[in-house]
Amino acid sequence: MAKEKPVTAPDGKVIGGGPSQKELRKLRMQSMNAEEKAYLRRKEAMDKVWPIARFVILFGLCFIILYPLIYMISCAFRAQEDMNDPTVMWIPRHFTLRILKETWEAMDYGNTFLRTLLLNVGCSLVQVITCAITGYGFARFRFKGKNLLFGIVLMQILVPSQIIAIPQYMEFRYCLGLQPLMQKISPSLGSAFNLIDSPLTMYLPALMANGIRAGLMIFIFRQFFKGLPKELEDAAYLDGCGPFRTFVQVMVPNAASSFLTVFLFSVVWYWNDYYVSSTFFTKNSTIALMLKNLNTQLAIKLFNSATVELSPREQILWMEAGCLLAVVPLLVMYTFLQKYFTEGIERSGLVG
Amino acid sequence: MSETEVKDVQTEPAAPAKSKKAKKEKRMVKMPYERRKALYGYGFIALWLVGTVIWFLYPLFNSLMYSFMDVTPEVGGPQGEWVGLKNYAYVFGGDQYYSRYLASVLWETTWKTPLILIFSLFIAVILNQKFKGRTFARAVFFLPVIIATGPVYNIINGDISRTGASSAGQFSTMFSTDLMGELFQFLGIYGLSDHMQTYVETISNNIFGIVWNAGIQILIFLAALQNIPVSAKEAAQMEGATAWEYFWKITLPYVSPMILACLIFTVIDSFTAPDNLVMGRVLSMQSDWQYGYAAAMAWVYFAIVLAAVGLITWIMNHFIYYEVD
Repeated sequence: MAKEKPVTAPDGKVIGGGPSQKELRKLRMQSMNAEEKAYLRRKEAMDKVWPIARFVILFGLCFIILYPLIYMISCAFRAQEDMNDPTVMWIPRHFTLRILKETWEAMDYGNTFLRTLLLNVGCSLVQVITCAITGYGFARFRFKGKNLLFGIVLMQILVPSQIIAIPQYMEFRYCLGLQPLMQKISPSLGSAFNLIDSPLTMYLPALMANGIRAGLMIFIFRQFFKGLPKELEDAAYLDGCGPFRTFVQVMVPNAASSFLTVFLFSVVWYWNDYYVSSTFFTKNSTIALMLKNLNTQLAIKLFNSATVELSPREQILWMEAGCLLAVVPLLVMYTFLQKYFTEGIERSGLVG
Repeated sequence: MSETEVKDVQTEPAAPAKSKKAKKEKRMVKMPYERRKALYGYGFIALWLVGTVIWFLYPLFNSLMYSFMDVTPEVGGPQGEWVGLKNYAYVFGGDQYYSRYLASVLWETTWKTPLILIFSLFIAVILNQKFKGRTFARAVFFLPVIIATGPVYNIINGDISRTGASSAGQFSTMFSTDLMGELFQFLGIYGLSDHMQTYVETISNNIFGIVWNAGIQILIFLAALQNIPVSAKEAAQMEGATAWEYFWKITLPYVSPMILACLIFTVIDSFTAPDNLVMGRVLSMQSDWQYGYAAAMAWVYFAIVLAAVGLITWIMNHFIYYEVD
């Protein structure tokens, strides 16, 4: 670059005396043509202005992202009357835990949380494993109809779950046509084969690599396994490993970080899902469903009737407290495992 | 593993042919191994294949059938009567909401997608620079990724009208009102002019949607930026490229393959979001037990999405710079 040019002293004075930085700079400027000077001046100005501009932009945008969270926290701890007090913006005047406590009870948070966590982690574990196996199959083996089948994987990413929700509901309700037969044998057997409201509605598709966003996960794993060097497996084959053992002992250890990333995302997707679960569950058995129907739950809890409407302005308090309760586990997970969320995606082959 | 397989594998890497005869011989030895490998391939995807037939293809086929039928829910499963294209005719002619919603969703996706892409590329470039607090900024920008897919997003987006409290929306988190004003108040600046206010308001309303839907895209672009070879960077520096020139001549060509990925991701994301209007219409038809109409609506919509994604891929493939081959 122009700046790094060695300074040649034309009259010898400079070398002996040791000029100040300013003089050096002046000299350097003299030896440049106008274009170079203009370039330097622009660059200098940019170097000064840009960090400030960057800070303003980032601060503003971070505020937009964090705004709902700040608001949630602010709402969850304030008393009802603060909502009608125009002087209260962010910091509540009457600090109280009552709202949070009521929401906690309305959501039956302890039990719901454990149930959701168990379901999510279970489904995610199963699904990550099956999706990895499928992805590996697509990445490393050549067989007839592979392109067509992979086309179906892409379809699974594209097709919104809303399209197939009702036929799926029928499959679970009648257990692929088995339920009416069982009903004839005995009513209790019949009701056992009605899978609606059973966690099986989540586990069964996950077990067959068809759960929530399974298509995307298969795609990610396929990309990842394609990126690993082929020599790994060839070495294993030469040592007499079968394909499945090669997969488990050679490929899986290499894919550990991408397994973790996909698993984390899967937990998040299951945690956030309310569409699929509201199709298959009639009770509010997960956090997301609880939150979605929090209005009714609250009305039942506070007034012993499902039809009473809270004043919307005050209702916000409970809604925001509910949001906070639903988001906190995710936030905790994100804070500690942030590295795997961000770095993992980069490495796990969604890119490239 | 048997000895024969080991032998087969050993012959495989020597694929480049030396003479025709040798090649022929090799293929003869290779065939059984290849076939066995293919069988293993089926083995690996078998579980998925069975699941897909049960949980994906069969329901998909069913819903396609529903769209040509008059469906009535009955004990033992819905009963249908074949009515041909009647449902589709109704979707376009009879339903007063569908066409309007469809147009508005398409229009919104059209203008929002480029904005999201430009925004996320811009942010990715910024987050790729070195400055204090970068880790924190990155963490904040990816935060929407873990929140925005859930019901929480609907609530903070002021969308609790679905549950009946329609007026709650305008109070809820005030996104629909004046976010920029909030920011200025938060910073202690009051009394901007009204004109300025409305102008900033329209932008800020959309900024929320854009920022909250750009998490994954920022991540993808950031990864792409980090893959730009150092040599390209150095060459640009030697030539005295300004940041502006550097962006257009180096950054953009290198991330262009990722632009396609992000574009498709954004389009699919906005089309399949459960809170978009067309999906909402489909769902409300379903809850009215109008399965036939709902299925027809969903299929029309899906066909449009598929066509859009295909078209984008086709167009973009003409503009992408691939470094290799």
